[in-house]
Amino acid sequence: MHTMSPPENQRQLSPDLFQVNTGTSEPIYRQLIEQLRRLLAGRQVAAGDAMPSVREVASALGVNPMTVSKAYSMLEAEGLLVRRRGLGMEVASQAQGSSDLESRLELLRPGLERIALEARQLELEPRAVITLLTSILKGK
Amino acid sequence: MQMQSATQVPVHITGLNKSFDGQSVLKDLNWQITPGSIVGLLGRNGAGKSTLIECLLGLRDIDGGTTVMYGEEAGKLSVQTREKIGYVPQRSELFDWLTARQMLSYFRHLYPRWNDGKVHALMQAWELPFDKAISKLSVGQKQRLSIIRALAHEPELLILDEPVSSLDPAGRRAFLCELIDNVIEKQTTIVFSTHILSDLERVAMDVAFLNQGRITHQQALDEMMDSTVRVSARPEVLNQLQPVKTLHRPVQKNSADKHKMLAQFSEEQLHQLQERQDLRLEKLGLEDLFIEMTE
Repeated sequence: MHTMSPPENQRQLSPDLFQVNTGTSEPIYRQLIEQLRRLLAGRQVAAGDAMPSVREVASALGVNPMTVSKAYSMLEAEGLLVRRRGLGMEVASQAQGSSDLESRLELLRPGLERIALEARQLELEPRAVITLLTSILKGK
Repeated sequence: MQMQSATQVPVHITGLNKSFDGQSVLKDLNWQITPGSIVGLLGRNGAGKSTLIECLLGLRDIDGGTTVMYGEEAGKLSVQTREKIGYVPQRSELFDWLTARQMLSYFRHLYPRWNDGKVHALMQAWELPFDKAISKLSVGQKQRLSIIRALAHEPELLILDEPVSSLDPAGRRAFLCELIDNVIEKQTTIVFSTHILSDLERVAMDVAFLNQGRITHQQALDEMMDSTVRVSARPEVLNQLQPVKTLHRPVQKNSADKHKMLAQFSEEQLHQLQERQDLRLEKLGLEDLFIEMTE
């Protein structure tokens, strides 16, 4: 597994994978972690894919390399990324394990909880909110 | 924290006092910056950020206390220590009569280390004319030139006072990219004050708040955003909480209203608080933190 050169058919992921929003209550390193989790769950990123280097991501997003490095290390500690000797990070083979429906759905919870709070503040009926969400999901 | 000898500590300020015309600006201020850190200095207009930076650099007389850089007192810095420092003032009217080429060549002779390649690359990338009098440049161009001058000798400590206040978003991004690609990776210590919080969020590892003449709080930005919440609850509920640190609790007269408190809790405490019905938690972005911390 720890070969010095990547397998020929390995997909190299681009730094465009990530995006950063400033001005939110979520620190940038967390945004990066959550985005990779979602991409994995949605199977847009697969086991064995090569991650862009810390430097590339920092440069493309305009963020401190230490922040990107922190996100990568935490994803590694979680077992979602593995470090290939001398070659940076790749997506771990067990990373795909968590992509069942339930855990994918769970990733939406924080966003939906925010929506639920706003809906209550606006005194909207649950049914009306769900109708709107359904039509947005269907791309109308 | 690791023990460091005084000569390695870029900035160490103790008991700094400074007033103007009897008006006290900095009051018994203490501040320390560790090597390799990237610190955003935050404070409202008139809080004294520029004064603090100028006192630190020995550009202003101080009324009391000590400001020390790399183990040497400000105003008495050796040539070797001066060479380690790069400074971009908020506004510079100096050398106005020179062209950029003349000004840069003057500074080039002051520093044994001077990266000509970097100077030329940045002059070109930032579209600055070499042979126009500096007085004829726009404010933004002057600011960019000032940044190039400060980066040219590859300082170990870079002090930036509102470095991008006159730049448009593209100019700011170009400056950020230069920091990210070529400065941060050299373990340069960076101290910068700015009102542009989005830039600060992108590059600062630590934030320091200057309020009422003191550095009231300094912490890793990630940690601060993770652990800080605004809690709203009845006063007796707030009084029972045991935060790791209370950052701000405004005085409220009407005790029947819900009171607010800005405080930091451990991850475990936050989980428990989220379950409670008698209080409301709110996570804040940097802008709200800034407003609360400098009230």
